[in-house]
Amino acid sequence: MLQDAPESVRLMGGWALDWPTRLLTHMTLRVRLIAGLLTGFGFGQASADDPISYDRQIRPILSKNCFACHGPDAEARKADLRLDVHGAAISVHDGHAAIVPGKPDESDLVHRITSADPENRMPPPESEKTLSEEEITLVREWILQGAEWSSHWAFTPPQRPAKPQTLGTDWARNPIDAFVLSRLEKEGLQPSLPADRETLLRRVSLDLTGLLPPLEVVDAVLADPSDHWYENLIDRLLASPHYGERWARHWMDAAQYADSDGFEKDKPRQVWAWRDWVIKAFNEDLPFDQFIVEQVAGDMLPDATQDQIVATGFLRNSMINEEGGIDPEQFRMEALFNRMEIVGRAVLGVTVQCAQCHTHKYDPITHTDYFRMLAFLNNSAEACDTVYSQTEQEQRAKVVALIDEIEADVKKSDPDWREEMAAWEAIARTSTEPAWKTVSLTFDDSSVGGQKHLPREDGSYVAQGYAPTQFHPKMTGKTDLQKVTAVRLDLLSDANLPRGGPGRSIYGACALSEFEMRVAPEGTSIAEYDKWTPVKIASAIADVNPRERTLGSEFPLKEERKRVTGSIEMAIDGKHETAWTTDIDPARRNQARYAIFRLAEPLTIEPGTVIAFRLSQLHGGWNSDDNQNNNLGRFRISLTDADALPEVAIPAPVRAALALDQAARTEPDNRTLFSYWRTTEQSLEEVSARIDALWQAVPSGATQLVLHERETPRTTHRLDRGDFLHPAEEVQPGVPAFLNPLVAEGTPDRLDFARWLVSRESPTTARAYVNRVWQHYFGEGLTATTSDLGTQGEPPSHPDLLDWLSVEFMDSGWSIKQLHRLILTSATYKQASTISADLLERDPYNRMLARATRYRVEGETVRDIALAASGLLNTTVGGPSVYPPAPEFLFQPPASYGPKIWATDHGANQYRRGLYTFRFRSVPYPALQAFDAPAGDAPCTRRVRSNTPIQALTLLNEPLFFDCARGLAETVLDEGGQTDRSRIEYAFRRCATRRPVESEVAVLEQFLAKQRARIAAGELSPDAILGAESGGARDRGELVAWTLVARTLLNLDETISRQ
Amino acid sequence: MCNGEYPTAGLSGPAIARRWFLQQCGVGLGAAALGHLLGGASVARASEPVAAKLTHFAPRAKQVIYLFMAGAPSQFELFDYKPELTKFDGTLPPPELLKNYRAAFIDPNSRLLGSRFNFAQHGKSGAWVSELLPHFANIVDDVTIIKSMSTDAFNHAPAQILMSTGSQQFGRPSVGSWLSYGLGSENKDLPAFVVFSSGQKGPSGGSAVWSSGFLPTVHDGVMFRTSGDPVLYLSNPSGLDDTVQRDTLDTLGALNTQRLEATGDPEIATRINSFELAFRMQSSAPELMDLTNEPKHIMEMYGAEPNVPSFAKNCVLARRMIERGVRFVQLFHEAWDQHGNLRNDLKKNCGDTDKACAALVQDLKMRGLLDETIVIWGGEFGRTPMVQGDGDDGRDHHPNAFTVWVAGGGFKPGLSYGESDELGFNVGRDKVHVRDFHATLLHQLGFDHSRFTFRTQGLDAKLTGVEPARVVRDLIA
Repeated sequence: MLQDAPESVRLMGGWALDWPTRLLTHMTLRVRLIAGLLTGFGFGQASADDPISYDRQIRPILSKNCFACHGPDAEARKADLRLDVHGAAISVHDGHAAIVPGKPDESDLVHRITSADPENRMPPPESEKTLSEEEITLVREWILQGAEWSSHWAFTPPQRPAKPQTLGTDWARNPIDAFVLSRLEKEGLQPSLPADRETLLRRVSLDLTGLLPPLEVVDAVLADPSDHWYENLIDRLLASPHYGERWARHWMDAAQYADSDGFEKDKPRQVWAWRDWVIKAFNEDLPFDQFIVEQVAGDMLPDATQDQIVATGFLRNSMINEEGGIDPEQFRMEALFNRMEIVGRAVLGVTVQCAQCHTHKYDPITHTDYFRMLAFLNNSAEACDTVYSQTEQEQRAKVVALIDEIEADVKKSDPDWREEMAAWEAIARTSTEPAWKTVSLTFDDSSVGGQKHLPREDGSYVAQGYAPTQFHPKMTGKTDLQKVTAVRLDLLSDANLPRGGPGRSIYGACALSEFEMRVAPEGTSIAEYDKWTPVKIASAIADVNPRERTLGSEFPLKEERKRVTGSIEMAIDGKHETAWTTDIDPARRNQARYAIFRLAEPLTIEPGTVIAFRLSQLHGGWNSDDNQNNNLGRFRISLTDADALPEVAIPAPVRAALALDQAARTEPDNRTLFSYWRTTEQSLEEVSARIDALWQAVPSGATQLVLHERETPRTTHRLDRGDFLHPAEEVQPGVPAFLNPLVAEGTPDRLDFARWLVSRESPTTARAYVNRVWQHYFGEGLTATTSDLGTQGEPPSHPDLLDWLSVEFMDSGWSIKQLHRLILTSATYKQASTISADLLERDPYNRMLARATRYRVEGETVRDIALAASGLLNTTVGGPSVYPPAPEFLFQPPASYGPKIWATDHGANQYRRGLYTFRFRSVPYPALQAFDAPAGDAPCTRRVRSNTPIQALTLLNEPLFFDCARGLAETVLDEGGQTDRSRIEYAFRRCATRRPVESEVAVLEQFLAKQRARIAAGELSPDAILGAESGGARDRGELVAWTLVARTLLNLDETISRQ
Repeated sequence: MCNGEYPTAGLSGPAIARRWFLQQCGVGLGAAALGHLLGGASVARASEPVAAKLTHFAPRAKQVIYLFMAGAPSQFELFDYKPELTKFDGTLPPPELLKNYRAAFIDPNSRLLGSRFNFAQHGKSGAWVSELLPHFANIVDDVTIIKSMSTDAFNHAPAQILMSTGSQQFGRPSVGSWLSYGLGSENKDLPAFVVFSSGQKGPSGGSAVWSSGFLPTVHDGVMFRTSGDPVLYLSNPSGLDDTVQRDTLDTLGALNTQRLEATGDPEIATRINSFELAFRMQSSAPELMDLTNEPKHIMEMYGAEPNVPSFAKNCVLARRMIERGVRFVQLFHEAWDQHGNLRNDLKKNCGDTDKACAALVQDLKMRGLLDETIVIWGGEFGRTPMVQGDGDDGRDHHPNAFTVWVAGGGFKPGLSYGESDELGFNVGRDKVHVRDFHATLLHQLGFDHSRFTFRTQGLDAKLTGVEPARVVRDLIA
């Protein structure tokens, strides 16, 4: 092998290139691609008889060479000449025109591209662009033919083309084949023979579910006498829950899914509920148009369900930067740009992001168009919702029902409850709320630890950006009151906080360790806080006073010390170890709360007095890179000079209900009042304690990043050069003119935008998705530039086929499963993938489709195959991401920026499918990364497929793969019969699906014999290889020998290939 | 290189060409062009002799060591001698400087802070160097100091990504990946692009700073570490010796070859070679990492010890990699984010790195490797001339002007290039933007940055992006 290596070695990219670079630098040879483009298989040879197509043949030349200066971008346009628009290109100026139809010799364009004078020559020499002779000829010929214009193929809605006539008549199984065969016949090629049943079974199983067919299925399919065995197989696979997993993963690539925030902190996030939603959507064959509408604007659908809101997690796969020095608005804008890119690439198939900084140079998207589209996305909160599983929802409902029951019992057993409550109400209604004056705050940069406090219109501040976990933020303000008797601290809900707040902890809760207040004359530096005069606080009340509790383990310290949370007194007890918390229980923690601090003496305010507040928050954990903060999320400070202060802090909803007349109260109002009243009744103390205990039993639920449309719309501006610091004119929501019009009543919103994306009239949406589905079956799309169907993209190899499929897809009600059936039952798909030297030379990428494509499976599937072959695979569908074993050092500095939690799963979860592996953006899971799984930092509609030594090391040596080898060996010993031969066959089939041929068996037998001999000779130690634990009742020597055979089989190219 | 000009090796037929393209250019490149090229009329041209690894012109350097001082070191305490800043220490900066200026943490209107350390001139070139860098002071005549660097980002992750990939957006290839793609490797047994990390943390940008972005994964930086397996999964599973590994590879080779014959898929040949290269790496990487045969005086020169992970040890290893033909070695040392504790942290950081950096340049020079190796030292941005925090002991992030140095590879030795203004706030003269720096670097390695492109999803992407970039000719000898 090695002797022959050099040629192949050269093929290994960065790894090994052994000829001297310097020697080669003197050789320059240009291979002009465009020549291939014109004469290659794309559209066949241009012959004199064929009319030349502007769209397919001429525009690519002009786009590549001319549009940068003579295209859509007015700012970059030179000589006021546009070549992308018919009227402009033929218009006459001073007796000249760039193009004179029918007269190439009179066309300036031809003069310029053929001129020998560098002054005159176009493109100009400094552009490094030149037209080839073939291109020039083609342009001339086209002008001679009359310079007929046609719009870009992908910007015209697809129409169903007529099925072409072919010479061959018995090969085609459905219309796809007619398009393919017609092309093959033009090229003088034949389709390949059909693949054998085993190959086809393995191929279609991997393609639809990403899993190998179990041997029972293989045997059953091989024995299936039905003519419809294949169609039946497809139906079974499409009905498998694993189908959704497989196709969800492709969509997750395009949506750039990952389980962490990205950037420096790269904190873990919970977004798996969206993944579950995608899996379910595929499994239920949610029509693609609805699939998109729910993901882009599910929250805005009437009576949106939890699922529909979860679907909007699609656009929340953008990254979040919470490093210390950031401006949150800058990175909110970055996230919006990213969402535009995701919509462009994953849905529209158009590279909109070019227009973020300037008008698109090639496609007719202006800089303004870009921001008009962005305006649709610019009005949502960056929300993180609590989501409940079905079971959790039921548990919650059960608790609520029980509480209702108890309350009903109270009413039953105490017939006087109405009177008692009325008496309480009468008193409660008279307790006056003092007038509160909000303080406008200035935050002390040196003590806020990089957290940013964004002001809201109601005088509150939302904490955003970096979240320090232990800090004493100080803030100052002034008041025009003459004196101050009390301070009110409101903790408010906000859609941008976890679970709606009011805190920033993973629960949306917070803990205030100590509240402190000082005053000083104006001009006193806050740096000298110690010299400010303390203001004594006498007492405090709050509308939530949770029971005293030791702080939860999610806020760990490196050296644990006593830290408790509880009622409001803990915020003024002078102790840092105690804190007031809003976290009463999972059911009631995400509500607005408030506290009132009563001063010991009224504070007289001299003119110019500055008041400082120090809101110590020390009840977070030590690791700010791991969501361990327990900070206030949104708060407001206000003051009063009232002498009469309330004795109890009545919760806002109760106060609101109280304020209503009996008659105006709704049932929920009454319930709120009753539930509050019973807590004030001494005789009902025991009942209330029981109810409190019940509330604790409500599950926490998980979270999911979603979109929530804001009530007050943001205005959107065009940003000069895409810089958020340079807003230009305001823009209204809208879409580029070259795409289908957006029809809506009034000002269109995100929901209108979502519907527009999947309108029947959209020229690109169906094509983009159909093309990607095709790519997953044939290795390349019908156009390889899967996220750019624009003028710079590759023209499709089979334009009519792409259009036919797109129309068929839409006509089927956007049914993805139907699309699969159509492609999978074509003769084109069912061909063998073996490739002759001739065909390899003619069509190395299989763009003409004279065969099926053989390629290495995706990273997740590489892993799933090993797990399935070994028998270890855990096929549980859905749920949180898992942590299979990984090298611990990767998650610790200095490999990782911050220490990351990798809570290794040692049980069955380590054997879950690759798609469930937790993905940190900054620390990709190595065994997946090696096989080109994207890191989730950009939308990916087309994975690269590399072939590297790191992959070989991973397959050979990574612990989980070795685990699989051992698992496969155990299965083989248990299930593979008694002879070496039957075992080899069995093991081989578990990996490759087919039976081995004689020569393959021989190689493996030889290997087995040698390993057995070495084990017998003591050269290989079962203890060292298997560990001390036994392999059950199995012979340990045999288990080792078969583990080594299994390892070899799992490493075969065929095992990790789809063919 | 893969932009409309596909240099194919003068090897043989299209099967080879196809595999070459798959590996070199990957499926991410303008497949339009690629597919057509190989499938169409131009197949005939594949027989013409062309270099796979073609530079645009004769390169001046062929290898790079990038000492990435992540966190952003303070230029004022190390290289950028600013007597005026010291003079105005404690006063507020001129308001006109602060117009439109944003700081990461501080109120920009904070007091100016003169250097906390003393400076002196060194070498024939008379370069100003702070007392923190006594070893660097000895090599100033071999080094080019650029005091007029400027960047667009002032948060760590985006700025590190920008410095590494030419863009603040994630998903682009890093410099090392571009060079792996453009130049390949000169060593069959080692990756072309190797990464080390030392210091307190990993880089803020995470693995994106050594990612191959849209280039094929084969151009990813491969992280080596100095304890345990140098490369992930380099060791055989427990209890398996080299004989089993060899037997396994032979068996795999035999079976894969049978399959190659049956299917005709040339990708299988590449797979066979990947496994063979992996096997060779299993012995070449440990040999490379084994410092027991490094002479004692060399280890002392760097301040490294064989079994102690350190920046200094990584420097020794970087030199060994350069000797073995590794194209790009990048050492991340994330330790320089001195918002506070400026004095003590800088003393420690310089203690950890100064000697090794100087030794690396001297060692390469001694071995005749410095001519063709570029050594780069620098962070992702600079630090404010204004103070952060109480105690006059910290500085905030500052993108407007900062310092990096380069040595070897045809850069002018003994040159101090560019200046910041008197307070070190903005560039005063000869601004070098990150993209200018990249353009110059590529130039020294034989590439015209404007033509060194990769076609991805309809666009010709460049390391230097879409804004104009210039090769800074004055930096080049």
